[in-house]
Amino acid sequence: MVLGLACWNSDAAARLYALLLASATPQLQVPAGWPAPHYDFADNRISRAGFELGRHLFYDPILSRDDSIACGSCHQQFAAFAHLDHRVSHGIGGINGKRNAPALFNLAWQPNFMWDGAVHQLELQPIAPISNPVEMDEQLDHVIGKLQADARYPAEFRAAFGSDGIDSQRLFRALAQFIGTLVSADSRYDRYRAGREHLSTVELQGLQVFREHCASCHREPLFTDYSFRNNGLDRTPQDRGRADVTNAAADEGAFRVPSLRNVELTAPYMHDGRYATLDQVLDHYIDGVQPSATLDPRLAGGIQLNAAERDAVLQFLRTLTDAAFVNDPRFAEIHE
Amino acid sequence: MNQDFAQSTHSVQTKILRQRTTSRHASRATRFCYALLLTAPLLLLGGCKFLHGATDTLGLKLEISEVVGEQPLRLASATAPSSYKTAAGDEFSVTRLRYYLSNFRLRRADGSWYQAPVDAKSGAGYFLVDAADPASQTFEFMRAPAGDYSGIAFMLGVDDARNSAGVQTGTLDPARGMFWTWRTGYIFFSLEGASPQSTADQHALSFHVGGGGTVSLARTVFLPSGDTPLRVRANVEPLVHLHADVAALFHAVHEIRLAELNTVMEPAQGAELADNAASMFRIDHIHHEPRAAGHTQ
Repeated sequence: MVLGLACWNSDAAARLYALLLASATPQLQVPAGWPAPHYDFADNRISRAGFELGRHLFYDPILSRDDSIACGSCHQQFAAFAHLDHRVSHGIGGINGKRNAPALFNLAWQPNFMWDGAVHQLELQPIAPISNPVEMDEQLDHVIGKLQADARYPAEFRAAFGSDGIDSQRLFRALAQFIGTLVSADSRYDRYRAGREHLSTVELQGLQVFREHCASCHREPLFTDYSFRNNGLDRTPQDRGRADVTNAAADEGAFRVPSLRNVELTAPYMHDGRYATLDQVLDHYIDGVQPSATLDPRLAGGIQLNAAERDAVLQFLRTLTDAAFVNDPRFAEIHE
Repeated sequence: MNQDFAQSTHSVQTKILRQRTTSRHASRATRFCYALLLTAPLLLLGGCKFLHGATDTLGLKLEISEVVGEQPLRLASATAPSSYKTAAGDEFSVTRLRYYLSNFRLRRADGSWYQAPVDAKSGAGYFLVDAADPASQTFEFMRAPAGDYSGIAFMLGVDDARNSAGVQTGTLDPARGMFWTWRTGYIFFSLEGASPQSTADQHALSFHVGGGGTVSLARTVFLPSGDTPLRVRANVEPLVHLHADVAALFHAVHEIRLAELNTVMEPAQGAELADNAASMFRIDHIHHEPRAAGHTQ
């Protein structure tokens, strides 16, 4: 039937396909032109029960010490799973962390995690915020104990993994099925690339300016090259960043280059959330870059943009907003 | 995205189709060659198995005793304090001592090594020894074919492959508390205690040595069996009794003064302790005991 419709009207077929997709369990589909993902689901087959368990866990404060904070508390879908209006992560008892809660999407392509790249694998990532005293402040063995004693989780784990038992591996594989399938690849930019949508003249100018001045680090199609760079926020870095992990002097004040997909939604910006608006971010790159020994050489002297180019880039960045992703009901919080 | 998906499916189908066409054109001779190429390794494998006939393996046991010099290590508690001196004269007590042993190998008489196959999906072969838990101090460390072996080697810690793989099970379950939470990697060796010389809060000693990254702190330990070979027989079971000397941790390779080094919580600080910890182990003696029947695999 889908094929028949495709011959008759490809647009209708696409809409029907989208409808079918919206009710199906997400799978990791590699969009055309994207590299192969880093995380391999071969050892962690995505199933409806596994994905739904991951979703339940993501939105359940049971993972925190006093059952007050869930992953979803600081990673909100409408903000592309960043934390709107919060400069830095906000832990139990209202304690502030030192870094901004990043947006979550296309994580299966990401080679390492956290602003400093301290975590090497998708399944291992949630261990960091769960255990961090200024985030969820819980111990893994306690989490496992709470899940085992819960009225519903034992059955959900059985359904997801085919046998009784809750351990760390099952917990984090289920979470990986949820966070690893948060794929954002349906922005206006993507539809433009696929020949399905037009961008305005200014937006296209913005794309050109972007490619000339920004894309060497924010590389298409993922809009990051996953490198760590000092982008000149401070003359003397207040946070060692990547150097925390490598202990290399050259990494002082270097942080992950974040993806710019959905950037319109993920304010505030930078590793410490110091900029509230994209305007401020552009101001920084145009005339706010601070010199230091570890400043990325490409940013020395700032990025030269005239007013028209600045406005065009800003308009282009908004084409990276993926409305379908932030409204996808499959990723939404479960209300009971 | 819908179209993208359709396109990629389409290209896969085209590829399959192309492959089919090629194979239809292949001559019978080529096909015969292919068949030969495919079956040859299988024949070879089968042959090896047949020739050796010795895929049967027998268990070897390890028993570990933590000591300080010549005395057994007693863990200190509030009710039972217990303290020791380092070679340099610093006083210390130990409240907690845990470490991973893995990648066991046996040296054959001719100098070659036997290493048991590893299941990448389980924590088998990775042992978490806890000085407070006698059950963790005696275990079958590997299985090997019958023969005489002249020494054992193992890793104090976890190899790079496991250290950066996904969430593991069994002894490698991160819930065991030997996994760094804010950065990927296992704690290979962990000692907690106190020392009056320690400048840390409450005179604490906290040594967490491990982690992956550019330079691994996992150390390989080789212990020759000396005059007595390890005899692995259908009717004889060897039990290697290891001593782990905590005193060596403070002087074996590098001298550690507890006023200077008392807190190690990240890989960069742990290299000297890792070298010393690898020198803690020695074979005290080897028992050979009658093996209960029916234990081959």
